[in-house]
Amino acid sequence: MEKARVGVIGAGRIGKIHIHNLCYRIPGVEVVGIAEAEAAVPATQEWAKQFGITNVVSDPAALIEDPTIDAIIICSPTDTHADLIIQSAAAGKAIFCEKPIANDLEKTKQALAAVRKAGVKLQLGFNRRFDPNFRRLRELVEQSEVGDIHLIRITSRDPEPPPVEYVKVSGGIFMDMTIHDFDMARYLAQSEVTEVYASGSVLIDEGIGKAGDFDTAVSVLRFASGAMAIIDNSREAAYGYDQRVEVFGSKGGAMAYNKTPTTVELSNAAGVFSDKPLYFFLERYMDSFVQELQDFVDCLRNDSEPPVTGEDGLQSLLIAIAATKSAHENRIVPVSEVDN
Amino acid sequence: MTEIIRVGVIGAGRMGKIRVDNFSRIPGVEVAALATPYEAETYEWARASGIPKITEDANEILQDDSIQAVAICSPTSTHSEYVIEAAKQGKHIFCEKPIANTVAETKQVLEVVTEAGIMFQVGFNRRYDSNFLKIKELCTNGELGDIHIVNISSRDPARPRIEFVKTSGGMFVDMMIHDFDMIRYLTGASIEEVYAYGDALIDPRIGELGDVDTCIAIVKLSNGGIGTIDNSRETHYGYDQRVEVFGSKGSAYAKNKTSHTVEISTKDGVEKDRPLYYLVERYLDSFRVETEAFIKALREGTSPMVTGDDALQALLGSVAATISFKEKRPVRISELV
Repeated sequence: MEKARVGVIGAGRIGKIHIHNLCYRIPGVEVVGIAEAEAAVPATQEWAKQFGITNVVSDPAALIEDPTIDAIIICSPTDTHADLIIQSAAAGKAIFCEKPIANDLEKTKQALAAVRKAGVKLQLGFNRRFDPNFRRLRELVEQSEVGDIHLIRITSRDPEPPPVEYVKVSGGIFMDMTIHDFDMARYLAQSEVTEVYASGSVLIDEGIGKAGDFDTAVSVLRFASGAMAIIDNSREAAYGYDQRVEVFGSKGGAMAYNKTPTTVELSNAAGVFSDKPLYFFLERYMDSFVQELQDFVDCLRNDSEPPVTGEDGLQSLLIAIAATKSAHENRIVPVSEVDN
Repeated sequence: MTEIIRVGVIGAGRMGKIRVDNFSRIPGVEVAALATPYEAETYEWARASGIPKITEDANEILQDDSIQAVAICSPTSTHSEYVIEAAKQGKHIFCEKPIANTVAETKQVLEVVTEAGIMFQVGFNRRYDSNFLKIKELCTNGELGDIHIVNISSRDPARPRIEFVKTSGGMFVDMMIHDFDMIRYLTGASIEEVYAYGDALIDPRIGELGDVDTCIAIVKLSNGGIGTIDNSRETHYGYDQRVEVFGSKGSAYAKNKTSHTVEISTKDGVEKDRPLYYLVERYLDSFRVETEAFIKALREGTSPMVTGDDALQALLGSVAATISFKEKRPVRISELV
């Protein structure tokens, strides 16, 4: 195809970022239309003008059924993902969907079955895989620079806790936050998780505890390969977004440190100071948002396999469900136990 | 106690030699005697070190009324016997970790020590490392706020001899015990529950012995915080000893120490020094500071920073980890006591 023609469903924070990137930073693609909730249509129309996009609708079906559109990019709220995937697949569209497909296993499997049946491409928005640091780690693993993987350590901490209202509908810290780290661990281990042990505490916001969730958590994963992973999460790091990953293997280790706005170091009588990590995911992972869609567009144009599949989404969800169960029941949970 | 302190050292292996050297450099302290099985080279070294009495029989030290303190640096299996005898003889004791590999034996030793009323310090040397002393200070003065997460990576440079593994008590007892102590030390909290897991990924012979060479543990603490530990028997790149403490106000991260900080940049990349190779290189200063602290506590009549109870608590962490690994479940410390 000359240029891939895409429709974007949902123009919230991440939808707007994707549209901006598709219009200005990713060659070979054209945003044909945007679907937004009825009330937000006028404002979205106004916003979309700057990109020359005039086709803003309130009914996603108008994009999904449009025969001139090759792919649908789903950035709407999580509870709409599965149905939109099913509709898009039925219409023969390639799909890029923000994570997760659904917080519910049944729904996720239904969506994946629809994708399989239609034989369309589905790429899931595990954007961190496209971050240059973590791509480099994966490259080192593939080149066997660290040998067989023995240990993976992931530190993943947010700069501030979300509102309790959000926590209530988030599915819990393992489904909402750690799921990215579960995917990262799988990506680097190149093996499937067999068992999960997770532990959580409420140390930051009692409201989160009252909502039945944790704000501080540690997860341990055991892989079929024999490798093991430790993930630590916090909803509030006073110094910003802490995103570090280490792989350790039979030949050595590789460590991805945080990224900072600058690398300037100030030394004075009080000490030596350098920048805090980039503040949150928009700052930290902007490059990865561009790269994941660039790769999606490339796979549309070259008719190749998407780099993150629906199966990846399913596996991370299974791990997240197992971790949630483990933390609440305080026991090791085999992934097979939750995959019914 | 301002007069000369006469110390007897039992054992002249790697640690015994280091302790002799440490004591010799402290003003007002004299290494009065050394007990170690006869070996020409060791005796040569001891004579050159100016130790007046060298014997094969530890009892010659333990029964010597002119000796006020002993340092027990012999193999682990002999520790409890020597500690008990030294305590009965009223000697102050520095004992390398662990006191013993079982909880029952450790408790038995501690009973005797308590009854004797002598000063007893256990060799968790890492507490005296400048990196970890600094993190402890940050924890204590509140700079990190409430402690939420402690992450420890502790990995040896090269796998041990298989003969050593057989008598080591297992990796959770032999190696991870230091990390349990570090978590207790830094947080000031007690260990309530341990989940541990491991595998023989480096040397299948270690697996055949029922032991592991790669392992992790999750520790639930009395303050609600969570500790994580990862251990490996072989890094290839040196002794990896890193600790991070994360709290409500921020985090502190102790990176590895290196012999130099030169960064070499060429067309192939940027190269830095590997971590100091192993414990003698990495923790040499901590052994000296630790030995000095023992003498200082002795002179001032204060209690040592690492007590017999600390050693017991760390051992309980190790035992809980071993059970957790074998029974595939989290183990509460209260189950063991």
